[in-house]
Amino acid sequence: MRVSLGGQLLLLLGLAFIPAIGQALYYRQMVSWEKAPVDSALVSVAQAQSWGDRVLWLDARPDQDFARAHIPGALQLNEDEWDEQLRMMLTAWSPERKVVVYCSQKSCNASHEVAERLRKEARLTNVYVLDGGWEEWERQHK
Amino acid sequence: MGETTQIASSAPIGAGRPQFVRLAFAVIVGGVFIYAGGAKLFDPLRFASDISNYNILPWSVAVRLAFYLPWLEVLCGFALIFQRLFNGAVLITGALMLIFLGASVSAKARGINISCGCFGSASGSLSFAWHLALDLVLLAVLVALWFWPKRASR
Repeated sequence: MRVSLGGQLLLLLGLAFIPAIGQALYYRQMVSWEKAPVDSALVSVAQAQSWGDRVLWLDARPDQDFARAHIPGALQLNEDEWDEQLRMMLTAWSPERKVVVYCSQKSCNASHEVAERLRKEARLTNVYVLDGGWEEWERQHK
Repeated sequence: MGETTQIASSAPIGAGRPQFVRLAFAVIVGGVFIYAGGAKLFDPLRFASDISNYNILPWSVAVRLAFYLPWLEVLCGFALIFQRLFNGAVLITGALMLIFLGASVSAKARGINISCGCFGSASGSLSFAWHLALDLVLLAVLVALWFWPKRASR
């Protein structure tokens, strides 16, 4: 039986709803449906600066953004050159230091990705993400 | 008197290989979408976060899409592989690729460096350039599949 293109679209779009609704019902108590959840690993510029020299700043942005400008003393750690940059980063790290990762702005998730990889792969604790990213740092240091 | 044996007419010469290639393309692209959708099924909240980070849709829409889109991808992937509801699946997956590409380029243009989110947690290990290249290749194959008619069996 040949199904028209419109029928095919309706069938596919409609059938996908069934397992999706089932999964959503399973997650209904675990999900914030109206507002984005707050990330407990976020740290403000002021808070990170209060840690002084204990902070190890990590820039998760692309190379050209880092080359243009970055937080003084920051090291690069992005997913494009992960292995090499991680090696360099670990030579500067020590257990007493607090790692603060940032990317371009509040909505970018490169910093969260890098932070998560550091926690999982390098088994680092004290890893934070800068709330507002480079944009917030620049705004406060103009 | 012996039985007459009816010999089924064979397909025209040269018709087999192009159809095999077409099927191979459909299976590969279908497999990619099943993998991409499947990877996101296990962590819908992460995918919701990835969608939200493009700064195009509010969280309330992003989180609902995060539950729906992976299942749509998986379903379309199977439709491509098993050649059922095929044109509909090609159209939907092509539209999804265009939307992903447009959103990625838009985010890049606005200086937002984000993970595509296309392959769930596996997206983190692919750079933006590789994601873009893969998306363009998939889109090209989908366009080819749309214009490549399935030869009716005789």
